[in-house]
Amino acid sequence: MERGLTPQEQQFREEMRDFFTTKIPQDIRDKVAAGVELSKDDFVRAHRIMHVAGLAVPAWPVEWGGQDWSDLQRYLFLDEMQLANVPAPLAFNANMIGPVIAAFGSQEMKERFLPPTASLEIWWCQGFSEPESGSDLASLRTTAVRDGDEYVVNGQKTWTTLGQHADWIFALVRTDPDAARPQQGISMLLIPMDAPGVTLRPIQLIDGGHEVNEVFFDDVRVPVDQLVGEENRGWDYAKFLLGNERVGVAPTGWIKRKLAAAKEYAASTACGETTLIEDPLTAARIAELECDLIALELTVLRVAANSHGGKPDPASSILKLRGSELQQDVLELIADIAGTSSLSWDVDAASEIPEWAHHATPVYLNFRKASIYGGSNEVQRQVISTGILGLKG
Amino acid sequence: MNFEFTEDQVALRDAAREAISRQRTEPVPGTAEHNPKLWQALAELGALGLPFSEEVGGMGAGPVEAMVVAMELGRAGARTAYSESLTAATLLREDDALGTIIDGSRLVVPALFSPNRAWSPTPVGVRADGDSLTGVREPVPYAAASPAVVTTALDGEGVGVFLLDEPSLIGTRLDLAGQPARRLDGDAALVQRAVNLGTLLLCAEGLGAMESALHLTVEYLKSRKQFGVPLMKFQTLTQRAADMYTSLELARSAVYFLAMTLAERPDDATAVSRTKVIAGKAGRHIGQEAIQLHGGIGMTAEYAVGHLTARLTEIEHTYGDTRYHLTCLARGISAHGALDLVS
Repeated sequence: MERGLTPQEQQFREEMRDFFTTKIPQDIRDKVAAGVELSKDDFVRAHRIMHVAGLAVPAWPVEWGGQDWSDLQRYLFLDEMQLANVPAPLAFNANMIGPVIAAFGSQEMKERFLPPTASLEIWWCQGFSEPESGSDLASLRTTAVRDGDEYVVNGQKTWTTLGQHADWIFALVRTDPDAARPQQGISMLLIPMDAPGVTLRPIQLIDGGHEVNEVFFDDVRVPVDQLVGEENRGWDYAKFLLGNERVGVAPTGWIKRKLAAAKEYAASTACGETTLIEDPLTAARIAELECDLIALELTVLRVAANSHGGKPDPASSILKLRGSELQQDVLELIADIAGTSSLSWDVDAASEIPEWAHHATPVYLNFRKASIYGGSNEVQRQVISTGILGLKG
Repeated sequence: MNFEFTEDQVALRDAAREAISRQRTEPVPGTAEHNPKLWQALAELGALGLPFSEEVGGMGAGPVEAMVVAMELGRAGARTAYSESLTAATLLREDDALGTIIDGSRLVVPALFSPNRAWSPTPVGVRADGDSLTGVREPVPYAAASPAVVTTALDGEGVGVFLLDEPSLIGTRLDLAGQPARRLDGDAALVQRAVNLGTLLLCAEGLGAMESALHLTVEYLKSRKQFGVPLMKFQTLTQRAADMYTSLELARSAVYFLAMTLAERPDDATAVSRTKVIAGKAGRHIGQEAIQLHGGIGMTAEYAVGHLTARLTEIEHTYGDTRYHLTCLARGISAHGALDLVS
């Protein structure tokens, strides 16, 4: 057992801090800090700067632009990025389809897709969920029928995040409706969003924003060389994609930064003759949330330090569950600190109310998603109870 | 950063587990009783002197090793004066009496609780005039075993530390007036340091107890049948078991990290408060759910799980409960911005 960082790790951390706080444009970091929705251009600018520095796709194989980092280095990279209000490299590219193509794609597919995926010349979106297939993803019904050198795709995807910006979609489709198990008849296809028969329709969410979409496929013809890996192995690739990330599952740097902001907000919000940070219940709530966060971050560190390439520490299974809960807790705290100042969502020049307070409620509402996406927290508990505790329902 | 035990630490854990399983007695409800055989076994293992230097008869190891032993005690549901003894030994520093504590020949416990007063490391209401003390300490742990006692008192200058070799106790009550006492070389900072170590060991013991409580619960959900099926067929139960696991692993990370922290910074009271809160919340959660998921059997004195919960409750109430430590932490939240655990 040993606490703290080695001098090399400390230096790595300082390099990351220096990079994120000096190389990423301040206007983008200010928007992230205030909880403002980023434009496509904001994402692309930040991603490309990281790409040029070799930091956009560190988890990829080195030959495709990845970094040979330890899990602890990866944690430090993410921590510094989040503390500096830097938007992460686009997850659909960097953490999802990129690693899948690198692991399972043909050499030709890798050469065609990996470089523009790393540089965000292609913006990917994810076509997994369907209206009737949420937690039960394997029940998906979108079909792909082979016709010569093409698949003909019909069906509907939903919850497609930032699909409005996307050039391509990686979609799970049913290629064998007669497979013994539903998981066995699924394939992964790469489809351009401008292909004839692809239609995108926005879904407005409770925060008023447009973040997710429905995507419809109507006789969309997809060349067979856009099949990832083998036909009917799509479920394995999807599982790889979802289980690929170890230390990044719980955004502890993001939560830390929000909690530090919450303290500033509380200290700048008058309450009686003092401020909210002097209010004993508010102070205790902040102190308790710091303890909760410490326990989570130490678990992330434990998982990062104990994962020597092979099997992750089983405690990694709690990271998504707790990470999403604490994201929600800190945003709830900020919305409560804003109080009446949160009642107007509109930012206008005449307002005396700071921007964060106007955004507090929509951001709070927006992040109710965190315990639903990527395997809902009920699914996470199921994974723990069956996979770790051996409680076979 | 490394959260794994060394080979030596694993060997110590196994040896402690073996010794404890041989000498433990079945738990009974009520005030903890001293088990001299188990105590001697711990002494022979060197466990009573782990974090103390070899010059004073200790093992020259550290808080991590002491934590390893405390976890095993918790796992086995063996209530001992382990945390108390190491706390007292820290207060004695290099006093001659230390050797007899470490070799197990003499039981010395801290008497730091005042009746009808919420926990404070400051001995409010206990006064010293030279070596002459006034005030009451109650409850004194393991009083029935006639231990020697280390206590604290306020004099004009601050906090003093005192050893009472043969205190006269009535039940668990110690009226300090007129009792022979010897002033030791110690102050408020030493008291905090001793309580820091004691709190770590309580948290570690609690972690072991939580582990056992979850283990028993999981096995029960697998084997107990109702409505013709094992209880694990009911997601309302298994989802709650998953939450218990989550609490356990969060507490484990925090307790391990506190041991590493105290090895470097034995006076870090903030780190202790944070861990006591994390472990306290986890202990409440796991202890209560372990009984509930067992149902009626969890209420019985012949079954282990209720005793683990009772011990977790004692631990929660010793050296400051979650409320106390949150109050301490809340006072300090403006002193730092974003948390930094790794520097």
